[in-house]
Amino acid sequence: MLTASTFLIYAVGGLIGLLAGFLMHRSDYCVAGMFRDTFLFRDSFRLRFLCIQLIVTMFFFEFFRMLGLLPLYPFPLLGFASAANIIGGFIFGIGMVMAGGCVVGTLYKMGAGSVISAVAFIGLIAGSALYAEFHPWWASFAKATIFFPSAKTLPELFGVNPALLFLPTASISALIFIKWHKENKIVRQSEVKGYIQPWKTAVALALFALVSYVLIGMPLGITIAYAKIAAMIESLLIPEHFSTVTFFQLTPLNITHPSTGALLQGGAGPQIDSLWAIQFPLIAGIVLGSTFSAMLLGEFSITYKVPRRQLIMGLVGGILLGISARMSPGCNVWHLMGGLPILALQSLLFLFGLIPGTWVGSKILAHIILKQSMQPTGNN
Amino acid sequence: MSDQKIQETIAIDMRGQICPACLLVAMDTLNKHREALTKGLEKLCIITDNREATTTIPTTARNMGYSVTVTKIDSFYQICVGRFTPDK
Repeated sequence: MLTASTFLIYAVGGLIGLLAGFLMHRSDYCVAGMFRDTFLFRDSFRLRFLCIQLIVTMFFFEFFRMLGLLPLYPFPLLGFASAANIIGGFIFGIGMVMAGGCVVGTLYKMGAGSVISAVAFIGLIAGSALYAEFHPWWASFAKATIFFPSAKTLPELFGVNPALLFLPTASISALIFIKWHKENKIVRQSEVKGYIQPWKTAVALALFALVSYVLIGMPLGITIAYAKIAAMIESLLIPEHFSTVTFFQLTPLNITHPSTGALLQGGAGPQIDSLWAIQFPLIAGIVLGSTFSAMLLGEFSITYKVPRRQLIMGLVGGILLGISARMSPGCNVWHLMGGLPILALQSLLFLFGLIPGTWVGSKILAHIILKQSMQPTGNN
Repeated sequence: MSDQKIQETIAIDMRGQICPACLLVAMDTLNKHREALTKGLEKLCIITDNREATTTIPTTARNMGYSVTVTKIDSFYQICVGRFTPDK
Protein backbone atom coordinates (compact mmCIF):
# COMPACT_ATOMS: atom_id res chain seq x y z
CA MET A 1 0.00 0.00 0.00
CA LEU A 2 1.19 3.46 -0.82
CA THR A 3 -0.01 5.28 2.21
CA ALA A 4 3.32 4.67 3.90
CA SER A 5 5.08 6.86 1.34
CA THR A 6 4.00 10.45 0.74
CA PHE A 7 6.14 10.63 -2.39
CA LEU A 8 4.36 7.64 -3.90
CA ILE A 9 0.96 9.15 -3.07
CA TYR A 10 1.98 12.26 -5.05
CA ALA A 11 3.37 10.11 -7.87
CA VAL A 12 0.32 7.86 -8.20
CA GLY A 13 -2.09 10.81 -8.01
CA GLY A 14 -0.11 12.75 -10.59
CA LEU A 15 0.11 9.82 -12.97
CA ILE A 16 -3.59 9.01 -12.68
CA GLY A 17 -4.34 12.69 -13.25
CA LEU A 18 -2.15 12.88 -16.36
CA LEU A 19 -3.74 9.80 -17.90
CA ALA A 20 -7.27 10.88 -16.94
CA GLY A 21 -6.76 14.39 -18.35
CA PHE A 22 -5.37 12.99 -21.59
CA LEU A 23 -8.22 10.49 -22.03
CA MET A 24 -10.98 12.90 -21.04
CA HIS A 25 -9.75 15.44 -23.57
CA ARG A 26 -9.56 12.84 -26.33
CA SER A 27 -13.05 11.46 -25.60
CA ASP A 28 -14.53 14.79 -24.47
CA TYR A 29 -15.64 12.90 -21.37
CA CYS A 30 -17.87 15.59 -19.92
CA VAL A 31 -20.15 14.44 -17.08
CA ALA A 32 -22.03 17.74 -17.14
CA GLY A 33 -22.68 17.19 -20.84
CA MET A 34 -23.90 13.65 -20.24
CA PHE A 35 -26.77 14.84 -18.02
CA ARG A 36 -27.33 18.15 -19.80
CA ASP A 37 -27.69 16.64 -23.30
CA THR A 38 -30.24 14.17 -21.98
CA PHE A 39 -32.49 17.06 -20.99
CA LEU A 40 -31.54 19.64 -23.61
CA PHE A 41 -31.36 17.46 -26.73
CA ARG A 42 -33.01 14.25 -25.50
CA ASP A 43 -29.71 12.59 -26.30
CA SER A 44 -28.61 10.05 -23.71
CA PHE A 45 -25.77 8.61 -25.80
CA ARG A 46 -23.00 9.97 -23.56
CA LEU A 47 -24.85 9.12 -20.35
CA ARG A 48 -24.36 5.46 -21.24
CA PHE A 49 -20.64 5.83 -20.59
CA LEU A 50 -21.23 7.03 -17.05
CA CYS A 51 -23.42 3.95 -16.52
CA ILE A 52 -20.63 1.75 -17.88
CA GLN A 53 -18.08 3.47 -15.64
CA LEU A 54 -20.34 3.11 -12.61
CA ILE A 55 -21.01 -0.59 -13.11
CA VAL A 56 -17.39 -1.47 -13.98
CA THR A 57 -16.24 0.41 -10.87
CA MET A 58 -18.88 -1.42 -8.83
CA PHE A 59 -17.57 -4.73 -10.12
CA PHE A 60 -13.93 -3.78 -9.40
CA PHE A 61 -14.65 -2.55 -5.88
CA GLU A 62 -16.75 -5.57 -4.94
CA PHE A 63 -14.25 -8.04 -6.38
CA PHE A 64 -11.37 -6.45 -4.47
CA ARG A 65 -13.46 -6.15 -1.32
CA MET A 66 -14.16 -9.88 -1.47
CA LEU A 67 -10.43 -10.47 -1.88
CA GLY A 68 -9.87 -8.48 1.31
CA LEU A 69 -7.91 -5.76 -0.46
CA LEU A 70 -10.20 -2.92 0.62
CA PRO A 71 -9.79 -2.85 4.41
CA LEU A 72 -11.27 0.64 4.61
CA TYR A 73 -14.86 -0.19 3.62
CA PRO A 74 -16.88 1.98 3.35
CA PHE A 75 -14.07 4.39 2.65
CA PRO A 76 -13.10 7.34 4.90
CA LEU A 77 -14.90 10.71 4.73
CA LEU A 78 -18.17 9.03 3.83
CA GLY A 79 -20.84 10.16 6.26
CA PHE A 80 -24.48 9.50 6.96
CA ALA A 81 -27.06 10.47 4.36
CA SER A 82 -29.02 13.63 5.02
CA ALA A 83 -31.03 16.32 3.28
CA ALA A 84 -27.71 18.11 2.74
CA ASN A 85 -26.77 15.56 0.07
CA ILE A 86 -29.93 16.18 -1.95
CA ILE A 87 -29.75 19.96 -1.73
CA GLY A 88 -26.01 19.94 -2.42
CA GLY A 89 -26.51 17.66 -5.42
CA PHE A 90 -29.27 19.90 -6.78
CA ILE A 91 -27.11 23.03 -6.63
CA PHE A 92 -24.15 21.08 -7.99
CA GLY A 93 -26.25 20.04 -11.00
CA ILE A 94 -27.15 23.65 -11.79
CA GLY A 95 -23.54 24.73 -11.30
CA MET A 96 -21.91 22.14 -13.51
CA VAL A 97 -24.18 22.88 -16.46
CA MET A 98 -23.68 26.64 -16.09
CA ALA A 99 -19.91 26.23 -15.74
CA GLY A 100 -19.80 24.09 -18.89
CA GLY A 101 -18.20 21.23 -16.98
CA CYS A 102 -18.03 19.51 -13.63
CA VAL A 103 -15.06 19.73 -11.27
CA VAL A 104 -12.88 17.65 -13.59
CA GLY A 105 -14.50 18.77 -16.85
CA THR A 106 -13.51 22.29 -15.87
CA LEU A 107 -9.92 21.10 -15.39
CA TYR A 108 -9.46 19.27 -18.68
CA LYS A 109 -11.16 22.03 -20.64
CA MET A 110 -9.00 24.63 -18.92
CA GLY A 111 -5.98 22.50 -19.76
CA ALA A 112 -6.92 22.66 -23.44
CA GLY A 113 -7.08 26.47 -23.27
CA SER A 114 -10.70 27.30 -22.38
CA VAL A 115 -10.93 30.74 -20.80
CA ILE A 116 -14.47 30.11 -19.55
CA SER A 117 -13.29 26.99 -17.72
CA ALA A 118 -10.41 28.98 -16.21
CA VAL A 119 -12.97 31.49 -14.93
CA ALA A 120 -15.10 28.60 -13.60
CA PHE A 121 -11.99 27.27 -11.84
CA ILE A 122 -11.59 30.62 -10.06
CA GLY A 123 -15.30 30.41 -9.21
CA LEU A 124 -14.78 26.95 -7.71
CA ILE A 125 -12.15 28.30 -5.35
CA ALA A 126 -14.27 31.33 -4.49
CA GLY A 127 -17.28 29.08 -3.88
CA SER A 128 -15.25 26.90 -1.53
CA ALA A 129 -14.29 30.01 0.45
CA LEU A 130 -17.91 31.17 0.57
CA TYR A 131 -19.07 27.81 1.90
CA ALA A 132 -16.57 28.08 4.76
CA GLU A 133 -18.47 31.16 5.99
CA PHE A 134 -21.67 29.24 6.69
CA HIS A 135 -20.25 25.79 7.38
CA PRO A 136 -21.23 25.66 11.09
CA TRP A 137 -24.86 26.36 10.29
CA TRP A 138 -24.90 23.92 7.37
CA ALA A 139 -23.16 21.19 9.37
CA SER A 140 -25.88 21.54 12.04
CA PHE A 141 -28.55 21.29 9.36
CA ALA A 142 -26.94 18.18 7.89
CA LYS A 143 -26.70 16.57 11.31
CA ALA A 144 -30.32 17.37 12.12
CA THR A 145 -31.61 15.85 8.87
CA ILE A 146 -29.78 12.53 8.89
CA PHE A 147 -32.10 9.85 7.53
CA PHE A 148 -30.37 6.64 8.62
CA PRO A 149 -28.04 7.14 11.59
CA SER A 150 -26.79 3.53 11.57
CA ALA A 151 -26.03 2.88 7.89
CA LYS A 152 -23.81 4.52 5.31
CA THR A 153 -24.54 2.19 2.40
CA LEU A 154 -27.58 0.43 1.01
CA PRO A 155 -26.24 -3.05 1.94
CA GLU A 156 -25.68 -1.80 5.52
CA LEU A 157 -29.21 -0.40 5.60
CA PHE A 158 -30.69 -3.71 4.46
CA GLY A 159 -28.28 -5.67 6.63
CA VAL A 160 -27.13 -7.86 3.75
CA ASN A 161 -23.82 -8.86 2.25
CA PRO A 162 -22.93 -6.27 -0.44
CA ALA A 163 -22.48 -9.06 -2.98
CA LEU A 164 -26.21 -9.84 -2.77
CA LEU A 165 -26.97 -6.43 -4.22
CA PHE A 166 -23.95 -5.94 -6.46
CA LEU A 167 -23.91 -9.25 -8.31
CA PRO A 168 -27.49 -9.06 -9.67
CA THR A 169 -26.97 -5.37 -10.53
CA ALA A 170 -23.73 -6.11 -12.37
CA SER A 171 -25.26 -9.11 -14.18
CA ILE A 172 -28.33 -7.22 -15.40
CA SER A 173 -26.15 -4.28 -16.41
CA ALA A 174 -23.78 -6.54 -18.32
CA LEU A 175 -26.74 -7.84 -20.36
CA ILE A 176 -27.80 -4.25 -21.11
CA PHE A 177 -24.24 -3.34 -22.19
CA ILE A 178 -24.11 -6.35 -24.50
CA LYS A 179 -27.41 -5.23 -26.02
CA TRP A 180 -26.04 -1.70 -26.51
CA HIS A 181 -22.93 -3.14 -28.11
CA LYS A 182 -24.96 -5.30 -30.51
CA GLU A 183 -27.13 -2.35 -31.44
CA ASN A 184 -24.02 -0.22 -32.02
CA LYS A 185 -25.07 2.22 -29.31
CA ILE A 186 -21.76 2.71 -27.53
CA VAL A 187 -19.47 3.44 -30.46
CA ARG A 188 -19.65 6.34 -32.85
CA GLN A 189 -17.69 7.72 -35.73
CA SER A 190 -15.90 10.98 -35.12
CA GLU A 191 -14.09 13.25 -37.52
CA VAL A 192 -11.79 14.82 -34.93
CA LYS A 193 -8.15 13.86 -34.73
CA GLY A 194 -7.10 11.38 -32.06
CA TYR A 195 -10.60 10.51 -30.92
CA ILE A 196 -10.79 7.81 -28.23
CA GLN A 197 -14.12 6.04 -27.88
CA PRO A 198 -15.62 7.20 -24.55
CA TRP A 199 -16.36 3.67 -23.34
CA LYS A 200 -12.61 3.07 -23.20
CA THR A 201 -12.17 6.18 -21.07
CA ALA A 202 -15.04 5.02 -18.85
CA VAL A 203 -13.29 1.70 -18.19
CA ALA A 204 -9.95 3.47 -17.63
CA LEU A 205 -11.52 5.84 -15.08
CA ALA A 206 -13.04 2.86 -13.26
CA LEU A 207 -9.58 1.32 -13.13
CA PHE A 208 -8.08 4.57 -11.81
CA ALA A 209 -10.70 4.66 -9.04
CA LEU A 210 -9.79 1.10 -8.09
CA VAL A 211 -6.06 1.87 -8.06
CA SER A 212 -6.71 4.87 -5.85
CA TYR A 213 -8.94 2.91 -3.47
CA VAL A 214 -6.58 -0.05 -3.16
CA LEU A 215 -3.36 1.91 -2.86
CA ILE A 216 -4.40 5.09 -1.07
CA GLY A 217 -7.46 3.93 0.83
CA MET A 218 -10.19 5.91 -0.89
CA PRO A 219 -11.49 6.52 -4.42
CA LEU A 220 -10.73 9.63 -6.42
CA GLY A 221 -11.66 12.97 -4.91
CA ILE A 222 -10.74 16.47 -5.84
CA THR A 223 -12.73 19.27 -4.27
CA ILE A 224 -11.22 19.47 -0.79
CA ALA A 225 -8.06 20.60 -2.58
CA TYR A 226 -10.10 23.51 -4.02
CA ALA A 227 -11.07 24.45 -0.48
CA LYS A 228 -7.43 24.18 0.58
CA ILE A 229 -6.38 26.56 -2.19
CA ALA A 230 -9.10 28.96 -0.99
CA ALA A 231 -7.76 28.61 2.56
CA MET A 232 -4.20 29.31 1.41
CA ILE A 233 -5.26 32.48 -0.38
CA GLU A 234 -7.47 33.63 2.49
CA SER A 235 -4.75 33.01 5.09
CA LEU A 236 -2.38 35.22 3.09
CA LEU A 237 -4.79 38.02 2.18
CA ILE A 238 -7.03 38.27 5.25
CA PRO A 239 -5.27 36.37 8.06
CA GLU A 240 -7.40 37.91 10.87
CA HIS A 241 -10.64 36.78 9.28
CA PHE A 242 -9.14 33.45 8.27
CA SER A 243 -8.32 32.59 11.88
CA THR A 244 -12.03 32.93 12.78
CA VAL A 245 -13.28 30.48 10.11
CA THR A 246 -13.79 27.16 11.87
CA PHE A 247 -14.19 25.15 8.65
CA PHE A 248 -10.52 25.66 7.86
CA GLN A 249 -9.48 24.39 11.31
CA LEU A 250 -11.25 21.02 11.05
CA THR A 251 -9.58 17.67 10.38
CA PRO A 252 -12.29 15.40 8.95
CA LEU A 253 -9.77 12.82 7.78
CA ASN A 254 -8.02 11.24 10.74
CA ILE A 255 -7.53 7.51 10.43
CA THR A 256 -4.79 4.94 10.52
CA HIS A 257 -4.61 2.79 7.42
CA PRO A 258 -5.10 -0.80 8.66
CA SER A 259 -2.69 -2.29 6.13
CA THR A 260 0.26 0.05 6.47
CA GLY A 261 -0.28 1.69 9.84
CA ALA A 262 0.20 5.04 8.13
CA LEU A 263 -1.72 7.99 9.54
CA LEU A 264 -4.05 9.62 7.00
CA GLN A 265 -4.83 13.07 8.32
CA GLY A 266 -6.16 16.17 6.67
CA GLY A 267 -8.76 18.88 6.29
CA ALA A 268 -9.71 21.94 4.30
CA GLY A 269 -7.10 24.13 5.98
CA PRO A 270 -4.05 25.49 4.16
CA GLN A 271 -1.61 22.94 5.56
CA ILE A 272 0.09 20.40 3.31
CA ASP A 273 -1.45 17.16 4.61
CA SER A 274 -2.65 13.77 3.36
CA LEU A 275 -5.64 15.25 1.55
CA TRP A 276 -3.41 17.70 -0.30
CA ALA A 277 -1.05 14.86 -1.22
CA ILE A 278 -3.98 12.78 -2.51
CA GLN A 279 -5.95 15.43 -4.36
CA PHE A 280 -3.65 18.17 -5.60
CA PRO A 281 -1.50 15.96 -7.88
CA LEU A 282 -4.74 14.74 -9.45
CA ILE A 283 -5.83 18.30 -10.23
CA ALA A 284 -2.44 19.25 -11.66
CA GLY A 285 -2.23 15.98 -13.58
CA ILE A 286 -5.63 16.38 -15.25
CA VAL A 287 -4.82 19.92 -16.40
CA LEU A 288 -1.39 18.94 -17.70
CA GLY A 289 -2.61 15.70 -19.29
CA SER A 290 -5.24 17.61 -21.24
CA THR A 291 -2.74 20.31 -22.25
CA PHE A 292 -0.39 17.60 -23.49
CA SER A 293 -3.18 15.93 -25.49
CA ALA A 294 -4.32 19.22 -27.05
CA MET A 295 -0.76 20.19 -27.96
CA LEU A 296 -0.04 16.83 -29.54
CA LEU A 297 -3.10 17.33 -31.74
CA GLY A 298 -2.21 20.95 -32.50
CA GLU A 299 -5.50 21.98 -30.89
CA PHE A 300 -4.29 23.93 -27.88
CA SER A 301 -5.56 27.49 -28.23
CA ILE A 302 -6.68 30.27 -25.93
CA THR A 303 -9.57 32.38 -27.20
CA TYR A 304 -10.09 35.48 -25.08
CA LYS A 305 -12.88 36.90 -27.21
CA VAL A 306 -15.86 35.16 -25.67
CA PRO A 307 -19.31 36.58 -24.86
CA ARG A 308 -19.38 38.31 -21.49
CA ARG A 309 -22.61 36.54 -20.59
CA GLN A 310 -20.84 33.22 -20.88
CA LEU A 311 -17.94 34.38 -18.74
CA ILE A 312 -20.35 35.47 -16.04
CA MET A 313 -22.28 32.22 -16.36
CA GLY A 314 -19.01 30.25 -16.04
CA LEU A 315 -18.04 32.20 -12.94
CA VAL A 316 -21.47 31.77 -11.31
CA GLY A 317 -21.47 28.08 -12.25
CA GLY A 318 -18.02 27.65 -10.72
CA ILE A 319 -19.08 29.38 -7.51
CA LEU A 320 -22.16 27.13 -7.27
CA LEU A 321 -19.95 24.09 -7.84
CA GLY A 322 -17.53 25.19 -5.13
CA ILE A 323 -20.26 25.85 -2.58
CA SER A 324 -22.28 22.73 -3.33
CA ALA A 325 -19.28 20.40 -3.43
CA ARG A 326 -18.80 21.18 0.26
CA MET A 327 -22.52 21.18 1.05
CA SER A 328 -23.02 17.70 -0.42
CA PRO A 329 -20.27 17.03 0.79
CA GLY A 330 -18.30 15.77 -2.20
CA CYS A 331 -18.43 16.31 -5.94
CA ASN A 332 -19.61 14.16 -8.82
CA VAL A 333 -16.25 12.39 -8.97
CA TRP A 334 -16.48 11.44 -5.31
CA HIS A 335 -20.16 10.45 -5.34
CA LEU A 336 -20.81 9.11 -8.85
CA MET A 337 -17.44 7.47 -9.46
CA GLY A 338 -16.68 6.39 -5.87
CA GLY A 339 -19.71 6.38 -3.61
CA LEU A 340 -22.38 5.13 -5.98
CA PRO A 341 -20.38 1.99 -6.89
CA ILE A 342 -20.62 0.88 -3.24
CA LEU A 343 -24.21 2.14 -3.09
CA ALA A 344 -23.38 4.80 -0.52
CA LEU A 345 -26.59 6.43 0.70
CA GLN A 346 -25.02 9.90 0.56
CA SER A 347 -24.14 9.35 -3.08
CA LEU A 348 -27.59 8.03 -3.98
CA LEU A 349 -29.18 11.15 -2.49
CA PHE A 350 -26.60 13.34 -4.24
CA LEU A 351 -27.71 11.77 -7.54
CA PHE A 352 -31.38 12.35 -6.70
CA GLY A 353 -30.59 16.03 -6.27
CA LEU A 354 -28.21 16.23 -9.20
CA ILE A 355 -30.69 15.10 -11.85
CA PRO A 356 -33.28 17.89 -11.34
CA GLY A 357 -30.40 20.31 -10.81
CA THR A 358 -28.98 19.60 -14.26
CA TRP A 359 -32.47 20.02 -15.72
CA VAL A 360 -32.74 23.50 -14.19
CA GLY A 361 -29.16 24.29 -15.27
CA SER A 362 -29.96 23.23 -18.84
CA LYS A 363 -32.95 25.57 -18.96
CA ILE A 364 -30.84 28.48 -17.70
CA LEU A 365 -28.00 27.72 -20.10
CA ALA A 366 -30.23 27.41 -23.18
CA HIS A 367 -31.97 30.66 -22.29
CA ILE A 368 -28.69 32.56 -21.92
CA ILE A 369 -27.02 31.10 -25.02
CA LEU A 370 -29.95 31.68 -27.32
CA LYS A 371 -30.46 35.19 -25.99
CA GLN A 372 -26.93 36.28 -26.80
CA SER A 373 -26.69 38.39 -29.92
CA MET A 374 -25.29 36.49 -32.86
CA GLN A 375 -23.35 38.38 -35.45
CA PRO A 376 -22.10 36.94 -38.74
CA THR A 377 -18.36 36.24 -38.57
CA GLY A 378 -18.24 36.45 -34.83
CA ASN A 379 -20.38 36.97 -31.79
CA ASN A 380 -19.77 38.98 -28.67
CA MET B 1 -28.60 21.28 -55.48
CA SER B 2 -25.33 22.40 -56.91
CA ASP B 3 -22.68 24.61 -55.34
CA GLN B 4 -23.41 27.29 -57.93
CA LYS B 5 -26.73 28.04 -56.25
CA ILE B 6 -25.08 28.86 -52.95
CA GLN B 7 -24.89 32.59 -52.85
CA GLU B 8 -24.16 33.36 -49.26
CA THR B 9 -22.27 31.82 -46.37
CA ILE B 10 -23.48 32.33 -42.83
CA ALA B 11 -20.19 32.34 -40.95
CA ILE B 12 -20.20 32.00 -37.18
CA ASP B 13 -17.14 31.95 -34.97
CA MET B 14 -17.83 29.85 -31.87
CA ARG B 15 -14.26 29.38 -30.70
CA GLY B 16 -13.79 29.53 -26.96
CA GLN B 17 -17.50 29.39 -26.19
CA ILE B 18 -19.14 27.32 -23.52
CA CYS B 19 -20.36 23.83 -24.31
CA PRO B 20 -22.94 23.23 -25.92
CA ALA B 21 -23.33 26.78 -27.29
CA CYS B 22 -22.05 25.60 -30.65
CA LEU B 23 -24.81 23.03 -31.15
CA LEU B 24 -27.51 25.32 -29.77
CA VAL B 25 -26.51 28.17 -32.06
CA ALA B 26 -26.20 25.82 -35.03
CA MET B 27 -29.70 24.42 -34.46
CA ASP B 28 -31.10 27.90 -33.94
CA THR B 29 -29.50 29.14 -37.16
CA LEU B 30 -30.63 26.09 -39.13
CA ASN B 31 -34.19 26.73 -38.03
CA LYS B 32 -34.10 30.47 -38.72
CA HIS B 33 -32.56 30.03 -42.18
CA ARG B 34 -34.32 26.81 -43.09
CA GLU B 35 -35.86 28.06 -46.32
CA ALA B 36 -32.67 29.56 -47.78
CA LEU B 37 -30.60 26.60 -46.65
CA THR B 38 -32.94 23.98 -48.09
CA LYS B 39 -33.06 25.88 -51.39
CA GLY B 40 -29.29 25.95 -51.46
CA LEU B 41 -29.19 29.74 -51.37
CA GLU B 42 -27.16 29.77 -48.17
CA LYS B 43 -24.81 27.53 -46.28
CA LEU B 44 -23.84 27.67 -42.64
CA CYS B 45 -20.17 27.51 -41.70
CA ILE B 46 -19.23 27.40 -38.04
CA ILE B 47 -15.69 27.43 -36.74
CA THR B 48 -15.21 25.85 -33.35
CA ASP B 49 -12.61 24.41 -31.01
CA ASN B 50 -15.21 22.15 -29.41
CA ARG B 51 -14.40 18.58 -30.38
CA GLU B 52 -17.82 17.30 -29.38
CA ALA B 53 -19.52 19.71 -31.78
CA THR B 54 -17.82 18.03 -34.74
CA THR B 55 -19.96 15.00 -34.01
CA THR B 56 -23.18 16.47 -32.64
CA ILE B 57 -23.70 19.15 -35.32
CA PRO B 58 -23.14 16.80 -38.29
CA THR B 59 -25.43 14.18 -36.76
CA THR B 60 -28.19 16.70 -36.13
CA ALA B 61 -27.81 18.39 -39.53
CA ARG B 62 -27.75 15.11 -41.46
CA ASN B 63 -30.91 14.02 -39.65
CA MET B 64 -32.46 17.23 -41.00
CA GLY B 65 -31.46 16.29 -44.53
CA TYR B 66 -28.43 18.54 -44.95
CA SER B 67 -24.97 17.73 -46.21
CA VAL B 68 -22.10 18.38 -43.84
CA THR B 69 -18.35 18.81 -44.12
CA VAL B 70 -15.89 18.94 -41.22
CA THR B 71 -12.46 20.38 -41.93
CA LYS B 72 -9.53 20.81 -39.57
CA ILE B 73 -8.01 24.28 -39.92
CA ASP B 74 -5.02 25.11 -37.73
CA SER B 75 -6.13 24.52 -34.12
CA PHE B 76 -9.87 24.48 -34.79
CA TYR B 77 -12.54 22.83 -36.93
CA GLN B 78 -14.82 24.26 -39.58
CA ILE B 79 -18.23 22.65 -39.88
CA CYS B 80 -20.24 23.56 -42.99
CA VAL B 81 -23.90 22.66 -43.37
CA GLY B 82 -26.10 23.09 -46.41
CA ARG B 83 -27.34 21.51 -49.60
CA PHE B 84 -24.15 20.76 -51.49
CA THR B 85 -21.96 17.90 -52.53
CA PRO B 86 -20.05 17.08 -49.33
CA ASP B 87 -16.73 16.31 -50.98
CA LYS B 88 -16.50 19.67 -52.73
